[in-house]
Amino acid sequence: MQVGRGERFALVGPSGAGKTTLLRAIAGFVTADSGEIAVAGRAAITLPPEKRDAVYMHQTPVLFPHLSVFENVAFPLRVRRVIAGEMHERVGAALDAMQMGEFGNRAPGTLSGGQRHRVALARAIVARPALLLLDEPFSALDPALKRDIRAALLAAHSQYDPAMMVVTHDFGDAAGIADRIGVLIDGRLVQVAPPAELFARPVSLGVARFLNIANEIRGRADGAGNFSSPLGNLPVADGISSGPAVAVFSPAAVRIGLEGGTTARVLEVCVHPEHTTLRVETAGETVEAACPVGSSFVVGGETTVVFDLEKIAVFPLPAAQAPEELATGT
Amino acid sequence: MKRTRALPRVGLAVALAIGAILPLAFLVVLSVSAEWFYPALLPGQWTSANWNFLGRGSAVIFSSLGTSAALALSAGFASSIAGLFAGREIARLQGWRRRFAVALAFLPVAVPPLALSIGLQYSLLRSGMGGRFIGVLFAHIVPALGYTTLFFAGIFAVFDWRVEDEARSLGANRFDVLRRVTLPLLRRPLVEAFALGFLVSCAQVPLTLLIGQGLVNTLPLELMSYVSAGQDHLAATAGVILTIPPLALLIVAGLAVRRLRVVIA
Repeated sequence: MQVGRGERFALVGPSGAGKTTLLRAIAGFVTADSGEIAVAGRAAITLPPEKRDAVYMHQTPVLFPHLSVFENVAFPLRVRRVIAGEMHERVGAALDAMQMGEFGNRAPGTLSGGQRHRVALARAIVARPALLLLDEPFSALDPALKRDIRAALLAAHSQYDPAMMVVTHDFGDAAGIADRIGVLIDGRLVQVAPPAELFARPVSLGVARFLNIANEIRGRADGAGNFSSPLGNLPVADGISSGPAVAVFSPAAVRIGLEGGTTARVLEVCVHPEHTTLRVETAGETVEAACPVGSSFVVGGETTVVFDLEKIAVFPLPAAQAPEELATGT
Repeated sequence: MKRTRALPRVGLAVALAIGAILPLAFLVVLSVSAEWFYPALLPGQWTSANWNFLGRGSAVIFSSLGTSAALALSAGFASSIAGLFAGREIARLQGWRRRFAVALAFLPVAVPPLALSIGLQYSLLRSGMGGRFIGVLFAHIVPALGYTTLFFAGIFAVFDWRVEDEARSLGANRFDVLRRVTLPLLRRPLVEAFALGFLVSCAQVPLTLLIGQGLVNTLPLELMSYVSAGQDHLAATAGVILTIPPLALLIVAGLAVRRLRVVIA
């Protein structure tokens, strides 16, 4: 796995997959059993944390409670013996970039949660590390504060474009800030892709299920590039042998209300702030679909569905999960 | 309802006040009395003779007071610093290693002082430190370190280790972390541990007697000599003087920690 200079990389994975351990290994807080770690082209695995040129930020901002906001931000410069004039200039610039310029004399204990995040970010960027490591920076934040901190994080990153790795369990957060997302399952990096590609083309059924891709339609692959299901026949990639298979697709792969589509009955309408999702029944299968805010549907009403074949992935279904009729092809 | 709950508290406060103040008051009265026989509530005769007597021999009293203070200050300083590192290491251990280390630290606290004295006497006399200030100081540090180690093990059990990780990640080496983060955060526990070590040293009589071999004269030993000679009034007067260093320390430490917030966790 490589993260380039200026790149924003998000690491997602189920609990216990090793995301935080990986981040802490890169930071130097835990020793890796094997493998190599390099930061800015320099082997780092034997270096102590302070020499790795990587700043690690904890899930909740850890400010030094005995130091003022100014001294917190100045900390990396003091330990680097930066001269006073330059230090004041850099600390001031970092605090201003995080809109905390007026808070230099305050004690950390007097700051709000969002302000503490901003000070921690200012302190991280003032050190100008080659790599910023952020462990679950948005967890336990309310939606408004999350937006605020996300903007602050992007502003901090834009200060000098370091490589950035963010661990998160929220796919929305990952997609919102990352250029690429890596999926870590059981300690293995199983897929790395830009957000849109990751959700459209998961590499395995395990990844698709972890990404919580809403729709799974079971059917049967014929080994000759076709997948047949209650929804019809789909072309599938080479390499899927004859047998039970499953088509996986997100709600975005289902278009609603287009002429010439298959008839469907609306089972449920869920209105979210940014989109609306429908659960519809078509050809005996239940499918979730996304539509723009403001779309009006009535539960029990009829509509049409069209599937975007480009956004549907088909995977062999493990024998243990295949119903008997699919396993035997009857 | 409020009165019912307040009553035991008031009773407890009164009991504590009586327990703490009464013996001291008795000591002070005894030091300024010539005759005081049971069942008289107050002495039959008041005098300053005891103070005058000790004042005439002030060189001995002040010398032993100085030795006691020097021992207590040194033991307090050494045991608080060493206890900080020992407690920190114990807190980082897990499972049986931690329990074993805590038991080791508890040993000099739990063992009867006389038994500890005999054990230390053997080893310190063999190493040539018997009868010397340094030997007595080392002997005082042993029980004091037990207390301060256990004290810091408790402090580090609730210490937020993330501050040290964060500091390392921001470029601080181990020494910088200690100097700029850990020690400033632990200023208040350090003052309290120093006071603890000081007080433990002040209370050591068998250790001083056995390791010092009578050549290191401290105020408690002076006091003991008056007690063994049956000079209760002089012993009481020396006892009053003996309370001065710990009380002074408690006042200074109390003032110092008032300005220090607890910010370890």
